[in-house]
Amino acid sequence: MSFIDHGKKQLRGNIREYGMYIALFVIVVGFSIATDGVFISSRNIVNLVNQTGYIAVLAVGMTLVIVIRHIDLSVGYLSGFLGAVAAIAMVSWDLPVSATIPLVLGLGILAGLLSGFLVAKMEIPAFVATLAGWLGYRGALQLSTRGTGTIIIPDDAFNAIGNGFVPDIPGIGILPGVHHLTLILGFLGIVLFLVSEINARRKLQGYESEILPMEMFILKLVFVTALVGGITWILAGYQGLSWTAVVVLIVIIVYQFITTKTVLGRHIYAVGGNPEAAELSGISVKRLTYAVFGSMGMLSALSGILFASRLRSATTTAGQLFELDAIAAAFVGGVSAAGGVGKVVGSLIGAFVMSSLSSGMNLMGMDISYQYIVRATVLAAAVIFDVATRKRE
Amino acid sequence: MGRSVTIPVCPLWIRGFVTAPITPIFLTAEKGISMNSVAVGTAVVELRNINKSFGAVQALRGVDLVLRHNEVLGLVGDNAAGKSTLMKVLSGAYIPEEGDIFIEGKKTHFASPMDARRQGIEMVYQDFALANNLDVAANVFLGREAVRTQLGPIAVMDNRRMEVEAQKLLNRLKIDISSVRLKVERLSGGQRQAVAIARATAFDAKVIIMDEPTAALSVAAIGKVLDLVRELKALGSSIIIISHRLEDIYRVSDRMIVLRHGLKVSDTPVEGDIHEFRERVVAYIVGARDDFGGRAAADKRQEA
Ligand SMILES: Nc1ncnc2c1ncn2[C@@H]1O[C@H](COP(=O)(O)OP(=O)(O)O)[C@@H](O)[C@H]1O
Ligand SMILES: [Mg+2]
Repeated sequence: MSFIDHGKKQLRGNIREYGMYIALFVIVVGFSIATDGVFISSRNIVNLVNQTGYIAVLAVGMTLVIVIRHIDLSVGYLSGFLGAVAAIAMVSWDLPVSATIPLVLGLGILAGLLSGFLVAKMEIPAFVATLAGWLGYRGALQLSTRGTGTIIIPDDAFNAIGNGFVPDIPGIGILPGVHHLTLILGFLGIVLFLVSEINARRKLQGYESEILPMEMFILKLVFVTALVGGITWILAGYQGLSWTAVVVLIVIIVYQFITTKTVLGRHIYAVGGNPEAAELSGISVKRLTYAVFGSMGMLSALSGILFASRLRSATTTAGQLFELDAIAAAFVGGVSAAGGVGKVVGSLIGAFVMSSLSSGMNLMGMDISYQYIVRATVLAAAVIFDVATRKRE
Repeated sequence: MGRSVTIPVCPLWIRGFVTAPITPIFLTAEKGISMNSVAVGTAVVELRNINKSFGAVQALRGVDLVLRHNEVLGLVGDNAAGKSTLMKVLSGAYIPEEGDIFIEGKKTHFASPMDARRQGIEMVYQDFALANNLDVAANVFLGREAVRTQLGPIAVMDNRRMEVEAQKLLNRLKIDISSVRLKVERLSGGQRQAVAIARATAFDAKVIIMDEPTAALSVAAIGKVLDLVRELKALGSSIIIISHRLEDIYRVSDRMIVLRHGLKVSDTPVEGDIHEFRERVVAYIVGARDDFGGRAAADKRQEA
């Protein structure tokens, strides 16, 4: 059967990308069955989204850092420290939320530029430079929470970012008890996806080898539509979109746009693919390094805000191990350690794969020690898979 | 050989992305016609007394070089003679300690490859200098992407235009690649070299420098690259080609310079039959002959 043959060939060509979606699908279905549907319940899905948010934004930034062949180990404690700064700004300095958030994001950019300076200008290996950051921000976090211990954040608006939901459009009679705005957004998302996929396919027509066979194409559209539709329905049946989900969506849309449509994005991937070639083409590798680390710092600040808001407080251990979760998410999502390869959407999926695993294992009451081992196996498998498929090409 | 061929200098290429109509000029670029006809013309590039060292290694010791309009200049010499270094000085990748660069008679200073590219000097580097993770169109336009809209510091690319222009460029140079959307990592060595050359010619290049363009290629691919050189000449470019393969130099060059230990030892038209030519060039390469020995020694004495 030529359809299956063709499909197989296509699958093999894009196995890295599809593998991730398949893994997510298997995890979701597996845990849903194993937990009698608790995993797929509205409450758990909302929790999952809000828990993944602060790692997902880090993973997006980390993707670009790894694409340009660096690494940033400082992001976890930077996130924790900046979360504490946000708490102190509101509690001790009496700053309003509207001033606190820009302040913290700005500090994040500065911290990122400092890493960028060490890497680009002083030519210190990123691993070492950001390990210093890891130590430094850890110290700073402990200093800033030493007097008070955990800092409770009393501001409702701030805490809504990690716990609240987007209000619905008032006065719609049909489908009572369902979050209409969420449904509308989900519907628009699906339409946008379908239109862009169909347009992209039309543009590719004529390059035989690159194009999915029609049946596979339809299968893909149906799969994604069902996935997005399902999640939308689940969320709409509960309290709708959480603010965290909105923040993550905005970050993903902005970064997806920058990486695929702008000169900046093109240059980031060029530097990752061949730094010498990029430099000889007149691209400033230094400037890009600053930009990528600056963005990483800003996203660390955002992660800190999301996490502090979710806990309604800043704690001494905030941000611990976030960097490793973000790096794992990026690698599971298809980023290559060799540089030049990796998509922000992939890393988002990677983050969801890892946190779905944790969530599902928690629901099943699995011993935390085994949880680490399972996650280690998944990470290793993803990278081995990646290296193996790359070699075959 | 006495036949002189007049080839109209064609300003062409993609000026501000407006493509010039394809002229039948290709047809005059037949094998053997333009070959060996010494182009008469003014200097498009002149390098004077270029010195460049790497630590204790004196890679270039006062080299002069003139490239005339619409000329193909061969550059040969043993390994480590300084060929690549000299060309990187001209492409802005290296800054010489001493010496002057003149473009169209005007003294210039290149602080970076971008400076040189802006003046119409393009180099095809020995290792191609392509980003293998990007597609053909992206590589052709690398560093000079077509912009659709500028949103503050963010420039949105015009991918469509770049793809169309890249495809036109490949067609014009008769480069056979099925799609400009193919990633470079999926191309053969010859195709990569072709992309690197296409990239160098995409923007109004006055001068195209090719560093060992045939070194890593199969015989069939070599023939294609040499055809490409002829085509570029017919289209009005001035070209410098570095090669170890003397027959390549012989087949496409009008003139040839030999470097040895960072000094110029020969600067002669390419003429005579291939055996005689090869014998003569080898004598220069190994140091048995040196047309500038006296002068180089004199210069050195003057410096001391
Ligand atoms: N980037 C560099 N750093 C140090 N030495 C170099 C560098 N580039 C070239 N050289 C040295 O300069 C000399 C000339 O090299 P090169 O110009 O590459 O020679 P060619 O291209 O003729 O083989 C050699 O001795 C080489 O080792
Ligand atoms: Mg060389």
